[in-house]
Amino acid sequence: MSDISSIEELKKLNSIDDLKKLYWSLFEKIKNDDKPQLVICSGTACHASGTQEIIRGMKKYIIEKSLQNKMALKITGCHGFCEMGPFILTKPGDAFYHKVTLDAIPKIIEATIEGKLVEELLYRDPKTGEIYYKQHDIPFFKKQQRTILAKNQNIDPIRIVDYFTNFGYKSLEKVLSSMEPKQIIEQVKTSGIRGRGGAGFPTGIKWEYLSKQPNDKGKYLICNADEGDPGAYMDRSVLEGNPHSIIEGMLIGAFATGATHGVVYVRNEYPLAIKHLTIALRQAKDIGLLGENILGTKFNFDIKIVRGAGAFVCGEETALIKSVEGKMGEPRQRPPYPVEKGVYGKPTAINNVETWANIPIIIEIGGAEYAKIGTKNSTGTKIFSLVGKIKNTGLVEIPMGTTIKELVYDIGGGAPEDFKIKAVQSGGPSGGCIPVSLFDLPIDFEKLSEAGSIMGSGGMIVMDERTCMVDVARYFMNFLKSESCGKCFTCRKGTQRMFEILDDITKGKGTLEQLDLLEELALVVKDTTMCGLGQTAANPVLSTLRYFRDEYIDHIKNKHCTAGVCKDIVGAPCQATCPIGTEAWRYIAHIARGEYEEAYIALREANPFPSVCARVCSHPCEKMCRAGVLTGEPVAIRALKRFITDMIEPSVYKPVRKVKDNAGDNKVAVIGAGPAGLTAAHKLSLMGYKVTVFEKDSEAGGMLISGIPEYRLPRKILKEEIKELIDENITLKCNTALGRDITIDNLLNNGFKAIFLGMGAHKSKLLNIEGEDLEGVFPAIEFLKSFNIEGKKLAHGKVGVIGGGDSAIDAARVALRQKDVESVTIFYRRTRNEMPALQHEIDAALDEGIELQTLVSPVKINSENGKLTGVEFIKNMLGDVDASGRRNPQPVKGTEFFAGLDNLIVTIGDTPDVGYISYMGIEVNKWGTLIVNQETLETNRAGVFAGGDVVTGPNTVIEAIAAGKKAAIMINRFLNGEELSKPLEKKMPAIYIEPMVTVDTGEEELKRIKLPTISVDKRRSSLEEVEQTLSEESAVYEASRCMRCDLDFTYAEKIKREQAEFMGDIMQNKSVPEGEVLV
Amino acid sequence: MINITINGAQLAVEKGTTILEAAQFLGFPIPTLCHLEGLTPYGACRLCVVEIGEGARAKLVSSCTYPCEEGMKIRTSTARVVKARRMVIELLLASCPQSKTIQDLASKYDVRQQRFKQEWETCILCGRCVRMCHEQMTGNALGYHGRGETRTIGTPFNIKSEECRLCGGCIYVCPACQLRCTFTDKENAICNGCVNLSLPCVEKDKFKEMMCYMDPCVACEISGTHYSNL
Repeated sequence: MSDISSIEELKKLNSIDDLKKLYWSLFEKIKNDDKPQLVICSGTACHASGTQEIIRGMKKYIIEKSLQNKMALKITGCHGFCEMGPFILTKPGDAFYHKVTLDAIPKIIEATIEGKLVEELLYRDPKTGEIYYKQHDIPFFKKQQRTILAKNQNIDPIRIVDYFTNFGYKSLEKVLSSMEPKQIIEQVKTSGIRGRGGAGFPTGIKWEYLSKQPNDKGKYLICNADEGDPGAYMDRSVLEGNPHSIIEGMLIGAFATGATHGVVYVRNEYPLAIKHLTIALRQAKDIGLLGENILGTKFNFDIKIVRGAGAFVCGEETALIKSVEGKMGEPRQRPPYPVEKGVYGKPTAINNVETWANIPIIIEIGGAEYAKIGTKNSTGTKIFSLVGKIKNTGLVEIPMGTTIKELVYDIGGGAPEDFKIKAVQSGGPSGGCIPVSLFDLPIDFEKLSEAGSIMGSGGMIVMDERTCMVDVARYFMNFLKSESCGKCFTCRKGTQRMFEILDDITKGKGTLEQLDLLEELALVVKDTTMCGLGQTAANPVLSTLRYFRDEYIDHIKNKHCTAGVCKDIVGAPCQATCPIGTEAWRYIAHIARGEYEEAYIALREANPFPSVCARVCSHPCEKMCRAGVLTGEPVAIRALKRFITDMIEPSVYKPVRKVKDNAGDNKVAVIGAGPAGLTAAHKLSLMGYKVTVFEKDSEAGGMLISGIPEYRLPRKILKEEIKELIDENITLKCNTALGRDITIDNLLNNGFKAIFLGMGAHKSKLLNIEGEDLEGVFPAIEFLKSFNIEGKKLAHGKVGVIGGGDSAIDAARVALRQKDVESVTIFYRRTRNEMPALQHEIDAALDEGIELQTLVSPVKINSENGKLTGVEFIKNMLGDVDASGRRNPQPVKGTEFFAGLDNLIVTIGDTPDVGYISYMGIEVNKWGTLIVNQETLETNRAGVFAGGDVVTGPNTVIEAIAAGKKAAIMINRFLNGEELSKPLEKKMPAIYIEPMVTVDTGEEELKRIKLPTISVDKRRSSLEEVEQTLSEESAVYEASRCMRCDLDFTYAEKIKREQAEFMGDIMQNKSVPEGEVLV
Repeated sequence: MINITINGAQLAVEKGTTILEAAQFLGFPIPTLCHLEGLTPYGACRLCVVEIGEGARAKLVSSCTYPCEEGMKIRTSTARVVKARRMVIELLLASCPQSKTIQDLASKYDVRQQRFKQEWETCILCGRCVRMCHEQMTGNALGYHGRGETRTIGTPFNIKSEECRLCGGCIYVCPACQLRCTFTDKENAICNGCVNLSLPCVEKDKFKEMMCYMDPCVACEISGTHYSNL
């Protein structure tokens, strides 16, 4: 469509002058060409997102409207931002239209001709909504240094003219006209460039060796494009998008080293790259840049393509050489190195695609200039393919020495949803995992290898909480055991055996001895194999063992996979994630079938506080729900629980009591009638023990009653639930405090055989700034308690709340419901995204009119006559990511401001109020929480157990219930004289519930229901419960969205059972119904 | 000549000498399985590893394939070497426990148990037979199939090869599974001589002068053509 497409200039070039003339004539032509241009990426990744359709549509539109003379269309290779494909760039203007659809084509074309922009299609910041008008302003591109990739977007790979007009083959011209081979090698050596294929051998030195080899029988140059790492595709993009740069690089290399034959070894799975390269080679040959007597300089060099058959090991140089020769791809002993004995026994230098693409740049800018990019020992830029659990997937070119943090958070945009990033895996199957704590690591050859990984060819797979590191190691080992060539016994058998052990661990069959064996074996495999594949094959295992040993041990000891990945031990993710193992799938399945009583029983079996949890549980299950992981719309499990508890009477559930003969003799004391204490008491009572519960306050309930406001958890429901739990085996003694009325010794002396401490965390942490004791400043607990228990309304006027957790939201919403309050503002030091409070609670608070000020920290509390007048705050900005995966707030100097307040509520966390406990011989750590054995909950005193907030610090209700359940089991073991540290039995989905047949309506994906709430006006004036129960119809709908992860197990069990029964019938000669076939 | 040091002992060797050859010359014992004098060094079994290099650059290499280099310092039985060898033997034992050679090796290196899942394989893929066939018998009947865990040794398409002269050399050199041709199963037996009591070799004229490794051969003995009867 452009004038310069006519090929008349492209006659064979017979001399360097001919080439110079060609440049002149081409530049003359483009000088006059000022038509606006649309550049469309047509790399393989964009093909997958539909760029071909867009190109066809655009061509059609342009021809239909006869716009050929008003604008031009350029189809190029990959630009890198693959997440946003298909995308279009405008020239001039550099505007970036992303995720273009067919309907947008006319708009874009018309606007471009008129010189305007289509704003709604421009890239916006996903968080702030800010529009970026230029491509290079987009954060993804801004931090990159795209010396190689940027060329892709100027060049149509199948038009050599495009390469010429972008100064292509200029470096070759420079080399042929003015440089000696030695000078070239000197330049490459000065540049300090190291092989981009992974091992990082200095390219200049390799070339020097090759040039010194005798040149009697010919020498070979090979471009290694056998890119086989899962998740890496930068070589493909360069080959597809700019094949002439590889040819130019190889020509320069050949001139410098005296090589006569070139081979591009490219894997057959890259059809587009092969196509573009074949075209480019033919063009270069036709124009006289390849072949004999190139540009009349008596320099001969030719390149052929060899297609690899897809063996990963053929990326190893000696295996690659064998494959080029047509033999089985099998590495051999080095020395002799390929530089001495390579293809057909002739001297050979092998470099990666990216290395070759760098050569013209080094010649163009000079080695010394190139060496300024990157770090001292790793110079230049490196392309990484940033994939995995990250917002901006794509190809990223950065100078060496950029930190992983910059790569992942600034360029990559961080994690896609509110999951935390856990590690990156660099270097493909031979690489290793680098945990988030080491993200300050600058990316260069040495630093990565020190951290137990390798640079590799440049794959960067980002992993978040949903990735299980054992599974990652298993995945890579599975890859390697199939891709090892099999020659070295230790590599072949070693990878198989490592896979075997890893597979056992992910299936919950692993042992700690096996873990040691795994490590021992990994080290031997690393040591004793011949080629790079084997020597690095152990890296996935060794690096995950180094940084994530906890996860391995969790899999082995507790048969628990935190990420919810290892199917055989996870079962249903909702059940596995629940601290008390509630079979959520089971009651959801019953709801879908309309069997509500069965649903209640399933729920109550696991949880003694179903109605409480239905309202205030932090529902970790929903985060792991597979429907959510796949579609972003998890099943509303908590709302379904609420539906069931509101509908069914608790009396439906009849607890199973195991009465033991001697159990009644053993009295157990429980301190604290909170969720942990009451759960422990209830479970012990079911086992037949006599339990006495001592409560400090006047009512049972603990934090449930004093911390959680009525509008979230109505008192009536809570009291009924507690009443239900206290049976004939349990004695409740209120107004009895440990340390004041009783001591541990005196309980033990009075016939109690075991004690459970569950006092909770009832003391608010302080800000540690002046003025916290002023009138009008309240710690959160004091404020909430006096309202929730005594009904005192402490707040008035303008109220400020400092903090971002659940109790901050509770305090703010409680304050809002008090009569004299004018306004409530929450001050939080990070942004809303980092707030630990439940998202729907924050939403509700904002709906009610509570203001949220983020990125502020208090500096000083101001007062007048001993009364609070306001607080001075300082503004923060988000700094580096800390170990918790959140960005640290850093104060910005000079941004202090004053906020006038009548009341201030400080909710920055609670600690246990147990100053007395160390006098009773119980150990306390520096945070003021009790020290217990995590596995057995036992304190340092025999027979004294502890759990809940008093051990963990402020935590969720469900964790407290879990601690209570565990404590009951441990106390039972203790009283029976059993071994305490025996791992707890793990429950897998077992009960088969026939799924309802749903008719696929073919409609869009099913959306999660919205929870019904009362109106905002009503909320301010009353303490009525804000959330309402689901209607039966919507509950059944929501339940039908469950993917029934349990069926994998329960259905298989059912089939097995039926088969066994069937076989049993045959054995007993019972008649088998005709036509029934064994499954 | 190239000067090297093995376990402190100095030696000058010709260019191209492998570490194994040099060590054997000095009498240092290095266990091998895939190595056989007369065949190209292959480096498959990794039993012959020795340590070379200094400090952080110290590494293990297979002595049968690694050529001696000037000034090289070789250690043949450091802790690292022995640990690796013992693991290799343990892996061998886990795969081919019935092989006498491997049992002997295990006993020699005091490997008393193996901690992997027991397998009952007959081949360790050392490739001696393949090299024997190619290099000594110029037969080219044997080769490798597949890669990684699916790698096996066999004839093309696993059918009887026209190239095979039934010399039995492959069985003769096998270090792990000498009892391989006790098959009386017609399909798997190499020559079926013992099944048919007919001589597969003498029937074909061109094999007359060939060296035969199938000794003792039942068919040969019964028909009276065994060399001891000639």
